[in-house]
Amino acid sequence: MQSDNSGPIVKIRDVQPDCVNFVLSECDLALANSVRRSIMAEVPTLAIDIVEIEENSTVLADEFISHRLGLIPLQSDDVDSLLYNRDCSCGDYCELCSVVLTLHAKCTSEGIQTVYARDLLVEPNHSNLKIGQPILNDDANKGSVICKIKKHQELKVKCIAKKGISKEHAKWSPVAAVGFEYDPWNKLKHTDYWYEEDADKEWPKSDYCAYEEPPNPDEKFDYTAKPNNFYFDVETVGTINPNEVILRGIRELRNKVAGVIYSLDEIVARNANEGNAENIGGAGFGTVYGGATQYGGTAYGGTAYGGGTQYGGTAYGTQYGGTAYGNNSAGNDDYNPTTGWD
Amino acid sequence: MVAPKERLGFNTLKTTKRFQNPPKDETAFPLLAEAIYPHIHSFNALTEGPGGGLLNLAVKDIGKKTVYDSTEHRSANKLKIWIDSVQLMKPAVGSFDKTSLDRKTYPAECRERMSSYRGKLMLKVCWSVNDGPEMSEVRDAGYLPIMLKSNRCHLQTMSPEELVKCREESDELGGYFVVNGLEKLVRMLIVQRRNHPMAIVRPSFENRGHAYTKYGIQIRCVRPDQTSQTNVVHYLKDGNLTFRFSWRKNEYLVPVMMIMKALAETNDREIFDGIVGSDSSDSFLTDRLELLLRSYKSYGLHSQQETLAYLGDKFRVVFGVADDMSDVEVGKEVLRRIVLVHLDSNEDKFRMLLFMIRKLYTLVANDCCADNPDSSQHQEILLGGFLYGMILKEKMDEYLASITQQVNTDIDRGTGINFSERKYMTRLFSKVNENIGQKLQYFLSTGNLVSQSGLDLQQVSGYTVVADKINFYRFLSQFRMVHRGSFFAQLKTTTVRKLLPESWGFLCPVHTPDGSPCGLLNHLSHKCKVATEDSDVSKVGEALSLLGIVPKHGFAAGPNVCCVQLDGKVVGWCTHEQGRIVADTLRYWKVERTHGLPLDLEIGYVPPSTKGQYPGLYLFGGRARMMRPVKYLPLAKEDIVGPFEQVYLNVAVRPSEIESNIHSHVEFSPTNILSILANLTPFSDFNQSPRNMYQCQMGKQTMGTPGVALAHRSDNKLYRLQTGQTPIVKAKLYDQYGMDNFPNGTNAVVAVISYTGYDMDDAMIINKSADERGFGYGMVYKVEKIDLGMNRRRGDPITQHFGFGSDEWPEEWKGKLDADGLPMIGTKVEEGDPIVAYFDDTVGKTKIKTYHSSEPGYIEEVKLLGDNNDEELQMLTIKYRIIRDTQIGDKYSSRHGQKGVCSRKWPTVDMPFSETGIQPDVIINPHAFPSRMTIGMFVESLAGKAGALHGIAQDSTPWQFSEDDTPADFFGEQLLKAGYNYHGNEPMYSGATGEELRADIYMGVVYYQRLRHMVNDKFQVRSTGPVNSLTMQPVKGRKRSGGIRVGEMERDALIGHGSAFLLQDRLLNCSDYTQTSICRSCGSLLNPQTSVPRIGQKSSIRCRSCATKIESETLLKDVDESEIWEDGQSNRFIGGADTTTIGIPFVLKYLDSELAAMGIRMRYNVSPK
Repeated sequence: MQSDNSGPIVKIRDVQPDCVNFVLSECDLALANSVRRSIMAEVPTLAIDIVEIEENSTVLADEFISHRLGLIPLQSDDVDSLLYNRDCSCGDYCELCSVVLTLHAKCTSEGIQTVYARDLLVEPNHSNLKIGQPILNDDANKGSVICKIKKHQELKVKCIAKKGISKEHAKWSPVAAVGFEYDPWNKLKHTDYWYEEDADKEWPKSDYCAYEEPPNPDEKFDYTAKPNNFYFDVETVGTINPNEVILRGIRELRNKVAGVIYSLDEIVARNANEGNAENIGGAGFGTVYGGATQYGGTAYGGTAYGGGTQYGGTAYGTQYGGTAYGNNSAGNDDYNPTTGWD
Repeated sequence: MVAPKERLGFNTLKTTKRFQNPPKDETAFPLLAEAIYPHIHSFNALTEGPGGGLLNLAVKDIGKKTVYDSTEHRSANKLKIWIDSVQLMKPAVGSFDKTSLDRKTYPAECRERMSSYRGKLMLKVCWSVNDGPEMSEVRDAGYLPIMLKSNRCHLQTMSPEELVKCREESDELGGYFVVNGLEKLVRMLIVQRRNHPMAIVRPSFENRGHAYTKYGIQIRCVRPDQTSQTNVVHYLKDGNLTFRFSWRKNEYLVPVMMIMKALAETNDREIFDGIVGSDSSDSFLTDRLELLLRSYKSYGLHSQQETLAYLGDKFRVVFGVADDMSDVEVGKEVLRRIVLVHLDSNEDKFRMLLFMIRKLYTLVANDCCADNPDSSQHQEILLGGFLYGMILKEKMDEYLASITQQVNTDIDRGTGINFSERKYMTRLFSKVNENIGQKLQYFLSTGNLVSQSGLDLQQVSGYTVVADKINFYRFLSQFRMVHRGSFFAQLKTTTVRKLLPESWGFLCPVHTPDGSPCGLLNHLSHKCKVATEDSDVSKVGEALSLLGIVPKHGFAAGPNVCCVQLDGKVVGWCTHEQGRIVADTLRYWKVERTHGLPLDLEIGYVPPSTKGQYPGLYLFGGRARMMRPVKYLPLAKEDIVGPFEQVYLNVAVRPSEIESNIHSHVEFSPTNILSILANLTPFSDFNQSPRNMYQCQMGKQTMGTPGVALAHRSDNKLYRLQTGQTPIVKAKLYDQYGMDNFPNGTNAVVAVISYTGYDMDDAMIINKSADERGFGYGMVYKVEKIDLGMNRRRGDPITQHFGFGSDEWPEEWKGKLDADGLPMIGTKVEEGDPIVAYFDDTVGKTKIKTYHSSEPGYIEEVKLLGDNNDEELQMLTIKYRIIRDTQIGDKYSSRHGQKGVCSRKWPTVDMPFSETGIQPDVIINPHAFPSRMTIGMFVESLAGKAGALHGIAQDSTPWQFSEDDTPADFFGEQLLKAGYNYHGNEPMYSGATGEELRADIYMGVVYYQRLRHMVNDKFQVRSTGPVNSLTMQPVKGRKRSGGIRVGEMERDALIGHGSAFLLQDRLLNCSDYTQTSICRSCGSLLNPQTSVPRIGQKSSIRCRSCATKIESETLLKDVDESEIWEDGQSNRFIGGADTTTIGIPFVLKYLDSELAAMGIRMRYNVSPK
């Protein structure tokens, strides 16, 4: 397990239209798990977020149909071309931040008619982009069932699909499950594979055992060893290609790290401007919140809360006796840059 | 031996198809219909069966009433009046409705209109004047509530398809009534077994009189119309016996000898022999009998006629018989109505009485033991239909009595009476209250029994319950519920609540609630039936004589010979050896179905024993008995056994334990002893038994699917789970009872792990993503009835009309209401929003009704309800749909009594996950298991996991596995085949760090139920709010946004902690802290008052008693004008300025005022001065 400083290595074992199986090696467990987490929760996709119901005479309640619509996977390959609704300058929604789908189903014949995801039509604003079309992965190309209607029942809705991430709601998840495994032989003894009589009989061998050397019983246990190979098995819901999901997951992760670097840099730059650049190290956080500029002294001290005017002196002084809350600027119990928490 | 396991299916397609096209012939779930059989058939028995049904038997028993048209009987005309027959119609629209083409009324309409499902009760009243020709008239006795699916219900023979057309469930069960829109159910009660004399030792018997002892023989005799009369023979200290009965709630005691002499023309010798038999050497017995016979001599009544006349004379007034009856006739009437009423002939009664006396003496001599009234052996079930018939009988009796009463009133008033004139009779009928149906409706809607006689029952209320439709489990189990009687609920002893081995197979040992009704409220085992018809016992006598039973034997008596009784009638005697052979042969014959014996004949052979139960051969074929099927080994056929005989039968539980010459029967299945619900608990044989009890309770509180015809119901509150699933792990009976029509929970991936700390103490963590995908998503339907005519008196003109008026009203109402003033479907309403607009003529304004609930709801339905009089619309119901997605604090449970509260919705990425990326929907703490020992839940988890992996349904019927064939192995193999660990463990990874967890985690699929206890219905918060106007303390109650009391014990705890500040905060500051003024000088809290402010000055607080009133202007000489102050009544004062403000609890002021009212002054010392 020698690192040759070349960085993480990805070895793809298998790719299918909706899943990918790969090995991530030469990296830390923390990084591997971060990739897993950002794939699951941070990759933006498109999902129906607002449903305007014009007519619903089905047996299902409005909010229940809306919920079902929300969970329908929508094509999100080009979701990057959309803005987040919250970042968009429009008031409600617009074509920069949303995709509009419509559904109109009415049963005119005897018997039961099923409304499928394929009946959702994308309004043609984004026609040239791969975005918003319902995913129809089944053999009949019908997609998910939305509801069933009988004669004279009707469902007419306008759906506004928005960009979002799964951290907010599960409907924006690009993946169904992310398989994640390391150390198939349990050489690191992270877990103990409890058994009653015979571990070999009771525990199935991992598929990944073939990729690693079986443990040598004579070898001494290396307690410094760290996991090195991480076996991923990513299964998507079809909204984004599996390789894209991983790439975007890594991108999101990178952006987050970049965000941290950016704000650190910003602080450094600002401190340099003010001429106390040596303050970066140990007191790093002190500078972010502290420093005389942002919160201290001027903003709160004295005027708004402090000082003898509003809370100090008069108001509290009489009721609780002069001392309890003090007369000075400590009237705000915010962080005081000079004394710390008082 | 490993038995091959049956495989269950999911039958999804079959269920769907059946749902889309309900069967056109019959229900797919005959077991369901069987479960409520006793209810429906006991109701049917009222109008069908021998003698034209129970009601017609009842009117025969009531007999004829006689009344004279003048107090002078010799010259008076005599009117005999009686009810000849009773008829009950099917529910139909009334005659006032001229427009309806289909005149039938269906139950769904009654539910939605909040009316009652009832049919006309018709009485054919006959009378004859001076014993002349019979006249008759059919009288309408009001509308009687009809049981659904009974023979008077339109739904009785409908196929599922037709039922659906009638807006019912496709497998509607019936068995209940619809009263004022509520579904009401007469619950089954346990009563003493009929027609069998029971030996009883009861200390309270001593309270009857000074010589009374605790010994008695009690028999509950049932007439053919199912009304009953209890007779007791008491043993007195001196060896004498008295006969006790109660009539119209009064008790009467008669010497037994008098009854016997009245029953038959007999002599002392005959009585002596009939009791002693051949045991004349038994001096205990002969001494007492001598005394019994001697002491009666004092009455000087020798012949039967004399005795009857004596009895008749004493009871003439009590029985209120016709004046023209002779004393002897009255005496006979007493015997007919009171003494051993299950027997027709006096001879039979006489012999039964002899038997009872001998049994009593044997009990006193301690040669036999007392019978246990708490054991199922001596119990039967009082069925709803029979109780209904009993009440009806009494009401009809009262009706006849009220007619005679009316005649007497007419005599008193001097109204002209002419019985032979039709006009007078019609007037007579119209003057009495004929509405019997209304009285029965009152009974059903309140459960209160209004009765002069008490109907031989021990309680007056609690006979009916609302058939809750919380979910189908709850609904169904209510029909199988048997109550011991509310009298027993107050008993301090727990003996009545004990689970006795006698109830094996009849009452479920698991399914009883914990808490106060424990053991009193039982449920019938799922194979237990209750007889609703008399078995045909006409051929039993023949069979007995074939076996050599002598019908009558001069010297046969006592426990040394075997007395053969059929339904409480002594039919013969034989030796004990012969008795056993007779019993065995009878059983063989009846199972063989030869000799005309009914299969459900109960053959209770009690063998001779040392101080055991009094021996004999007791045959029963009556109604209301509990019965159950077991396999009869000699013929390998089904036998129906009852609780009386079962005690003396050897029934093997499994075929493997049969021993030859010991067992005569074997159970068809060990699960037969469990109730329907207890049977549905998966692998309940692996659980600690109280947990199975808890599951039976929680299954009934689950938010599930109450029904599918929800659109045609108007229940006040209805819970519904939107995402119900069929369980992967289910018992065979689950499918047979069609539970998939009403799913009750969701299959969840459950990991048993202590992961975040949020799963402490029975809390459970729900995966946030699972919640977002709809796990446990449910809703509540609430119905509000709006009746504009509610405050309008009958006959008043309608002044309020639905809809908007032409006056001006706020425009924003239009956002929620449609042009007709009614809310639009799908509108979201919040507290204070308008739900309906109406125009009020009296003020000429449009008004609204508002939504009263802090929880927002959606309008689901608006139903306009017409009344019966074709008037303008005045009533409507609005159904709200209230969303109940999972909140933190909502209650969930598995099917093993493992309930827990959702403590967090944990983000998916942070959840632990398996190598395949599976994350649990639910995390529960491993500490939930060691003390509770719900191994069944582990097994279910294992089975569910294997089932999910292989796509198969798993059978969880209890007692399918054994020590050699464990479920752990069975499902372990399946798991291994699917590539999983044999024991259901999986290595898991921390979601937060990605590190493999130190231990492998037990993860599987468990069916989870969402319980109806939700925080949204329970949370109680208050900072400030309404206060009691008298004490100024916060009010109580969640509804009124009151506070939670910090009571004495809480106070003690706070004191113990020394948390004085908190104590002051709770008890004073957050309670009734008040600032008030006090006079420093006189120390009064009540006297200071606010002065009237003068111009340019502030008002001040002055003490009225310390001030000097200015009576005349002369006092004002040296006084500065500014010193003078005025009260509100223009009185002027000087002084009293020495006041200050203090903070006190307001109740102190209240106390002071109360004391002042009693003339006690409170004085407070104020310091510093």
